[in-house]
Parts: sequence; structure tokens; C-alpha cells
Amino acid sequence: MKARSVRILRSSLSRRRREYRRLVAWSLVQAVPAFLSGWIVARAVDQGFLADRPATGFLWLAALAGAFIVGAWGTRHAMLGLASLIEPFRDELITLVATGTLHRSARLGAPADTAGVARLTEHVERARDAYGAIVLFVQGFVVTAGGVLLGLAGLDPLLLVLVLPPLMIGLALFVAALRAMAARQREVILADERIAETTAALTGGVRDVVACGAEERVRAQTGAQVDAAARAAVSLARLTAVRTAALGISGWVPLLLILLGAPWLVRNGVTAGAILGAVTYVSQALQPALQGFVQGLGSSGLWLLVTVGRMAEIAVDPDRPGAAALEAAEAGTAAPQATDTETAEAGTGAVTGHAPVRPGGARVEARDLTFGYAQSAEPVIRGLNLVLHPGEHLAVVGPSGAGKSTLAALIAGVLEPQSGQVRLDDVPVLAPGDGDDLARHRVLIPQEAYVFTGTLEENLTYLVPGAAPADVEAAVRAVGAAPLVARLGGYDAPLDPRDLSTGERQLVALARALLPAPRLALLDEATCHLDPVAEAVAEEAFARRPGTLIVVAHRISSALRADRILVMDGTRVGLGTHEELIAESALYRDLVGHWGAASASQAPVRTVTPIPTP
Amino acid sequence: MRPGAADRLLLAAARRGGALVGAMVISSLLITGVTLALPAIMGRTVDAVLDDHDTARWLALSGALILVLVVFDIVDDLVAGVAEARSTAWLRHTLLGHVLALGPRATRRFTGGDLVSRMVGNTARTGNFASGVVWVVMSLVPPLGAIAALALIDVWLCLTFLVGMPLVALLVRSFLRDVSDANEGYFRVQGTIAARLTDALGGIRTIAAARTVDREARRVLAPLPELHRHGLGMWSAVARVSARGDLVVPLLLVAVLAVAGLELSQGRITPGDMLAASEYVVMAVGISNVLQSVNQLAQARTTAGRIAEVIAEPPVAYGHERLPEGPGRLEFRHVTAQGTDGPVLEDLSLVVPGGALVAVVGPSGAGKSLLAALAGRLVDPDEGEVLLDGVPLRRLAREELRRAMAYGFERPVLLGETFADAIGFGLGTSSTEELVAQARAARADAFIRHMPAGYASRVADTPVSGGEAQRIGLARAFVQGGRVLVLDDVAASLDTVTEHHISQVLTGALADRTRLIVTHRASTAARADLVVWLADGGVRALGTHHALWADAEYRATFQPLSATKQPVRVGAGGAR
Repeated sequence: MKARSVRILRSSLSRRRREYRRLVAWSLVQAVPAFLSGWIVARAVDQGFLADRPATGFLWLAALAGAFIVGAWGTRHAMLGLASLIEPFRDELITLVATGTLHRSARLGAPADTAGVARLTEHVERARDAYGAIVLFVQGFVVTAGGVLLGLAGLDPLLLVLVLPPLMIGLALFVAALRAMAARQREVILADERIAETTAALTGGVRDVVACGAEERVRAQTGAQVDAAARAAVSLARLTAVRTAALGISGWVPLLLILLGAPWLVRNGVTAGAILGAVTYVSQALQPALQGFVQGLGSSGLWLLVTVGRMAEIAVDPDRPGAAALEAAEAGTAAPQATDTETAEAGTGAVTGHAPVRPGGARVEARDLTFGYAQSAEPVIRGLNLVLHPGEHLAVVGPSGAGKSTLAALIAGVLEPQSGQVRLDDVPVLAPGDGDDLARHRVLIPQEAYVFTGTLEENLTYLVPGAAPADVEAAVRAVGAAPLVARLGGYDAPLDPRDLSTGERQLVALARALLPAPRLALLDEATCHLDPVAEAVAEEAFARRPGTLIVVAHRISSALRADRILVMDGTRVGLGTHEELIAESALYRDLVGHWGAASASQAPVRTVTPIPTP
Repeated sequence: MRPGAADRLLLAAARRGGALVGAMVISSLLITGVTLALPAIMGRTVDAVLDDHDTARWLALSGALILVLVVFDIVDDLVAGVAEARSTAWLRHTLLGHVLALGPRATRRFTGGDLVSRMVGNTARTGNFASGVVWVVMSLVPPLGAIAALALIDVWLCLTFLVGMPLVALLVRSFLRDVSDANEGYFRVQGTIAARLTDALGGIRTIAAARTVDREARRVLAPLPELHRHGLGMWSAVARVSARGDLVVPLLLVAVLAVAGLELSQGRITPGDMLAASEYVVMAVGISNVLQSVNQLAQARTTAGRIAEVIAEPPVAYGHERLPEGPGRLEFRHVTAQGTDGPVLEDLSLVVPGGALVAVVGPSGAGKSLLAALAGRLVDPDEGEVLLDGVPLRRLAREELRRAMAYGFERPVLLGETFADAIGFGLGTSSTEELVAQARAARADAFIRHMPAGYASRVADTPVSGGEAQRIGLARAFVQGGRVLVLDDVAASLDTVTEHHISQVLTGALADRTRLIVTHRASTAARADLVVWLADGGVRALGTHHALWADAEYRATFQPLSATKQPVRVGAGGAR
């Protein structure tokens, strides 16, 4: 993590050498007063006020004021220079996070942890602040220290002997402790994060904790984490004390030595003004710069590494793609259902039915399709074979978690099967290179309709940018979204997704999917938030066009509209018309609710006379 | 939030620092005093050196003060750090204990994320209260002392400073205004980008299928140039303010130095006084930091209020009674209980016979889960009483109650490090054989064995599906044992085969327990000894599934695919 964040930081800096040089140049201007202050004070005292020439003293002080004005001018431009380094850095971070998260989520087929994404904004800001603080303080310290040392040498080179050694010793101590300090600070952050994680798990599952009577156990475990965090904080406090010691040695000891050495300096011809100047240098220029440097590096630096590292982690591909993935998409539950092996093998053969053949639709062929969410897990779909004629209308039914969404994603080429192949019109969906082509020929509409902030037209023409208004209008009417368009105030009205109900969003997604006239349309519970009548209208709009249609059915009514029905349950599947399945599949009967016909075989296991209420 | 409670909590937390807080106060006072005295002593020392009079004594004094300053700075840092850590830890333990004592009520009153922020961030801030108070003193006393010291050296120096000081005050104010204006636009655009990203992530399946990831990335990042512009605006405000800051304080210093120089040339003050004066000016300007310290203190008080708010919630009170021997007969007597909006169950009376398999059915929102929660006191009724084998649940000791009841949930939260921990999560400790046996009964054994480390796999690192989680949660309930088993829609995500096997366990190995099962499935209701049909805030009917099935409304509560009973044209839209 550390190496990656260092790499990101370094590459950002190296791409902006010119801006960096400008910053350095301006911070040299900024350091002018630090360089001149002590020296001017010495002159003002020696040549002016103590020499009975106050006018000369005032002139020198005016020069000091001038130096401060120049310094302030330098400060202003140094800050702007800093901005030209940091703003592009922030842009890079946001771009990294946004594109990284999107690509990663798209590959997984499910959103990456959204709460984590929300925290990213905070992390980006923190990284931006910390980066600014570091550049500012490190830069400020180097320039100021250089200026002060030069100024001291200008007053009297002997002063360097008193200032330089403790400064170096203090800095050495700080640098030596820095690594350990970073480690301790990191431990504190991690310990707090562990508490946050445990607390989040606890508050999410407090019902479970109470139901299991596990309060004591949780109190002990989380309490141990609290104590660990306290220990980490104490051990950081110890190292902070080392930092303070370093600050004392490099900031205060030079002052002490100047005072102690004063008699000796005076004997060697150093003037009163020079001693005043030296003290001014150390206490008013060197000490503040040191403080900024030590604190800036000690805390901001580590925050920077930790936050940039975290962003890199979230934005970059996970090692194990596919795992937690579509599970969330499987209607909140998911997939690998352990099934008895003897029933699991009973996959359907490639049944070629007597469905009507329509032009303009794609022939869909799935061969020996197997998919599981992890290599070690039981597959959700095992050895599935399926052939759909061009223009056929298939409904997929089954209990939740049976792998219906997974099958839709496999056929659409969004997921890659562990083995087997899906072909649309004899072309593998996962054939390399023609992804964009595929996207035009088949559409997959998932349950959660995607509507984004923009105009309604932008949303509707998402798959066919620049579509003719007449086509858009036709698609809208076909799915029954015309009243919605009227309510929203026309196609050019700005649209906030939060103003739309889930059903209205689904209507937008359906109209959008109709527009490119795809050869294969997959509706994965895409109408689940519509009422049955609206659902029928929308589904029929898709059935009426010449393309092939696969509907993952939410209601039995939508299954009854299909030419054939695929029943999924675990890895067992059944395929046929409604009548065939009523006759052959007990599960289908159960799903359809045909209890009357099947109740003989599904009789209660044992019957007891009902017990009356008191 | 009552301010009194917040203040009491602050004091209690501060006291947890113990002697360390005392040490911190002493060392801070010492540092403050030395800081204040040092410029004057240094001035005297320089004078002594220049006059070559009494040099050794003043040098020794200066040296000693600097030494004290350095040493006590170190001590102060260390002691404050340790005291903060102790106060924070105490607050966290207190809050944790209380959240556990509140039980499910805690998350009804506060959201999970909110509790996390109270537990981590707010405790840390509140724990800093003692050092915050010390900080206020340390940022207030030296500047005030420095102004007095200027007056003591020469009254004109002090007047010069006081005339110039309002400039500094003005600067601080304009800083806050300038930056907050620029901030507003910046954070607005930042929010836009975050919202677009969240939206796009919500629609990621559409985006992945349409292969428009790059387009979406561009759309999300479209406001970036605007953000950049606002960012630069912020910086230019900061640059302006820092330039002013770099100017005002030094010019104040130059003004005081000029007056001091005049006095020096007239022999009214010494070179040492001039040195001291310049140090005091810098110190006195530090008064602008007081605002910041006071602000920190105010924050500590606010966060203390947030913690006190949680602690003010009364915890669940358990009794001390034990259960008599019994079959596990549950009795609801005139129970009224509140759902999230208004009462869901009103004046409900019901007896769940000991050892029976009882199914609870009804439309969603009928209060099935509430009934299940009431049965084991996960929720207390607002009116009425729930009794287990004749003893009101409120009077039972906590452990006694939990040993008697086991729960399985539709969406169980798996707690514990490993899967073995998650299954054995509860009061007692169970042998590995027992855990495996119950996992097998709940049909969870096979997929756990498929995991990389089997039962020792870490829960956090091993994603499981909803159906798998249900089965692990079921195994957990089986392990717990007890006379009553409450299953709240545990089979919702299970396929019919798995569900059938679990039903066999429920009617076989577990047949001696009272089993209260919330279900949507007709097959489960069909296996029950008794079906409780909930509707409209009460028991609509009791009976066997067979007897109730004759009622069309009863049948309507079982709709696996939300089948609408409208006439359907078979093959509509297809065949033509």
C-alpha cells in the first residue's frame, strides 16, 4: 500500500516540475525577511539606536518593513504556486477513484462497497490538505533554515558554531524517530478503524447478539479492541514526546547556547546588536519553521500515505474478480445452492420447441453453461443447454437465488462462464473486440433501473445517442411512458433521479432499451415495480417487435405471456410451455400456485386438531 | 440532549485520566509561567552580558528556564496523550456497554453509521476535553501576560501594540469570511461529483451491459474543471489571507521595535528590554489562537452531548426469575406493540402450545416479524404481557431467557471471527462435533467445507449468499437449543429441495421443541400443527392449513410469484 501511494505521489510531482520550480523560486522570495530580519535588527541597534542616531535606526527598520512586504508578496505567489501543484493532484486522485471504481464494479457486475466510495470524498480532501501542508512546511522549513543560517553567518560566522550542531542533532533525532512514529500513527488509525468495523457489525447485528445472548462475549471482544486502541494511542504519545524533545533540542538549545556563549562572543568582538539579531533569527524565524516542519511531516505526511494508499486500494482491481459479485444482484440473495447431485445432473437437453420463427431476432444458444461464484463454491448453473429461435419469447421463473439473474448476465455476455459458451447468431458473446457491436445488438435491463441526472432525452437516448425524436416518441408510447413524460415536462426537462419512483425509473429504462431495436432483449425483473397492467403493456411492447425476448419473470402473469418457460431451482432446470410444465414440474406447479391440482401429493406431513385461543 | 448530562459526562471522562490530569495541569502551568518569564529573563541576561555584571547568575537562570521549558513540554505531551487515551477508552467502554444493554432498541433510535461515529470519532473528541481546557488556558494566559509585560517594560510599547492589535483581529475575521465563501462552491461541486458516482454505481449493471463505462467515467468527472476552478478560487483567498498574515504581524513587530528603538536611544530601556519586547509582541499576537482552542472545547462539549444522548436511553431491564420445567408454552396476553409507524399488533391474545409446530402467516406488514420478536423479548410489548411456561418474560433473568429461546432470521448477521465461531455464537461453548452436526442439519455443512479453510475460514473474508447466510443462521439457532425455536422467515432464500430437508429436521430431530415459524410458503404452513393467520393488527384465524385453505383470502397470502389472478391470454404477444 505504502509503495503504491509513494508512486502515485512521486509521479504527480514529477509531471509538474515547472510548477514546482516556480514554487521554490517564490518561497525563496518568501524567505527574504527570515534571511534579513536578524541582520537588520542588529544594524538598527548597533548603528542607530545605540549609536545615538535613531534616524538611522528607523531607516533600518523601514528596510525591515520593506523586507516583510517583499516576503508577503512571495508568500502570496508561493501559495498560488502550491495551488498549481495541488489542484491537479486532487484532479488526478478523483479521476483515479471514479474511473477505477466504475471499471472495477462493471467487471464485478455489482457496485463496489458504496459506503466506502462515499468516504472517498473525505479521503481525497484529506489527501489534498495533507499534501499541501507537507509541501508548504517542508519547503518553508528548508528555505527559512537556509536563510537563517546565511543570515547568522553574515552577523558573525562564530554564531554558526552555536546554532548548527544542536539544530542538526535535533533534526537527526526527529528523522530517526519519524519511521517509528509513522508506524505508531498508522497503528492508531488502524485500531480506530477496527473499532469502527466491529461497531458497524455490532450495530448491524445487535438483534442477533441479543437473540444469541452473546452480549458478554461481544463486550469482551470489542472491549479488547478499545483497549488495544488505547495502548496504540499511549505508545504514539511516547513517540510524540520524542518529537517534542527533538523540537526542543533543535529550537531551544541554539538559543540557550547563544546566551551561554554571549560573554565569549562579546569578548570576541560580537556586538550587542548582533546578539539581539541572532536571538531574533532563532526565536522568530527558525523556531516557527521547525515547528511547522516537524508537525507537518509527523502527522500530515502519514495521513497522506494512508489515505492515498486507501484510494489506490479501492480504485484498483481486486485480486479475485467475480467472487462477491453478482450475489448482491441476485435480488438481495444469491446463488450457490447446494443441491443433491443426483438431481443436479438433470440439466435440460437442447430442446428445440415449436416456437414461431421471427425475422430480426437473434438465435440464442447456450452450451454446457456452468457458473459458480467462486472456484470452490457449488455452481449456481451447471451444464445448462438452451436454444432459442430468432424472435422467440422465453420466460425464466424460479425461487430467488436460483440463478435467474446469473443466467441473464451470462447470456448477455456480462459474466464469463466457468465453462461452456453462449452464442448469438453463431457468434460467441464473449468474442474479443466487438464489445460495442454486441452492446448494440442486445440489451440487458436489470431490476434496478439506471436513471441519471440530465435531461429526459439524454436518459432515453443513452443507448442510441442522437436518435430521431420520432423514434424516441414511439418507444415512449410503446412502453406506456407517455404520461410520465408529460408529468416531467417534456424531453428537455432536467431530471433528478430522486424525483422518480422506482416504477417510473423502470419505465424510462424500458423505453431506452426499446430504442436501439435490439435483436435480443433481456428483461431481468425489469418491470417488478410496475403494476400488473403497466407490466403487461411494457412487456408486450417488447414482444411485439421482431427481436428475441428473455424475461426473468416477477409475476406468473408475465410467464404466461411467453412462448416457453424455463424453470430454475438450484441447478435443476425444466423447459417447456405452460401446459407442459404444469403437467411435468412439481416446482412449477408450486410457483404458479396450482395447489388444488397438486395438493394430494403435497399433503401436510401430519395434522393435528387446531388449538383454540384462550 | 440535556447540557447537564453532557457536562457531567465530560467531567467523568476527564476524571478517568486520574493523577495524569493533575500532572498535566501542573506541567502546563509551569510551561505557561516559564514561557511568560523567559523573554524578560533573556533580556536581563543580554544586558548582564553586555554590562559584564552578574553574568553567571542570569545565565544560569536563563539556562534553567529553557531546560524546564524543554523538559516539561515533553512531559506535558506524554501525560496529555496518556490521559486522553484513558478518557477515550473509558467513554468507548461505557458507550459499548450501553448499546449492548439497549439491544435492538439502540438501532431503532440511532442508525448504525451514526452509532459508529459516536463510538469512534465522538469519544476521541470528548476524551480530549481535559487537554482542551488546558490548551485554552495555555493559549490565553501568555498573550495577556505578554501585553502586561510590554506595559511593564514601557507603557508606549504596550500602547503601540494595542493600537495595532485591532488590525490583527480584522485579519482573522476576514480570513473566516473569505475562505467560507470560496468553500461553498467547492463543496457543492464536490457533492455533485460524488452523487453522480453513486448514481452510476447503482446502475452499474446497466452500464456494464451497455459497455458505457468510459462514457460514464467522463460524465461523472464532467464537473471536474469547475471543481478545479473553485479550488483555485479557494487557494487565491488563502494566498491573499496568508500574505496579509505574513504582513500584519511583522509590521506590528516593526512598529513596536521602532518605538523601542527610540526609547533605547534615549536610554529609557536597555537592549535586553528591546529583545524582550520583540519576543512579547510575537507572543501577544498568539491571542488569535484562543478562538481555535475555545472552538475545540465547544466541539468536545457537543460530542459529549451526543454520547450522553445514547446513555440517556433506558436499557432493557431483566428480572432474576428462573423458568420452571415446562414444554415451552408461549402465551401472548392482550399484547399491543408498536411497529415503525403506529401500532401493528393490537390487543393480541394467543397461546402457542408447548412442543407444537406453529406457522405464522399473513400479508406483509401484518406484524409477523414483530410477533416473532415479541416471543423472545427482542422487543417489549407496549401493553400486555408475553409468558413462557407461565412466567412473564420481563421477570426472567437474561441468561435464563436466552438459554430457553433460539432464533433464526431471514437475514441473519453472522458475528464471530470464523464460521465455527459464527455457528457457536452465543452463551455457551460447543464442541466442534456439535457445530458440524447442526451445520449438517441446517444444510450448511457442504458449502462450508468447500471454503478455503472450511470451518476456520474467516467470515469477513468469505462472502456468502443470502441463502447460505440463512442456513448458517439456522445452524446457530439449532446449536443454541432451548425449549423454544423461533424462525422468522428463514427459508425465504432457500430452494425447495433444501427447504424440504430442513422441514424434515424441524418435524424430526427438533420435534420436542416449540417451533414458531414465520413463513410465506404454503408448503411450510401445510406441515404445521397450527397456523396463525395474522391480518389487520390481530389474529385473523387459527387452524390447520388444510382447513384455512378453503378461504380465498387465506390462499392469497401465498403468492410465490405475486401471481395476479387476472385472466391471462396464454402466449399473448408471442403466437400470432
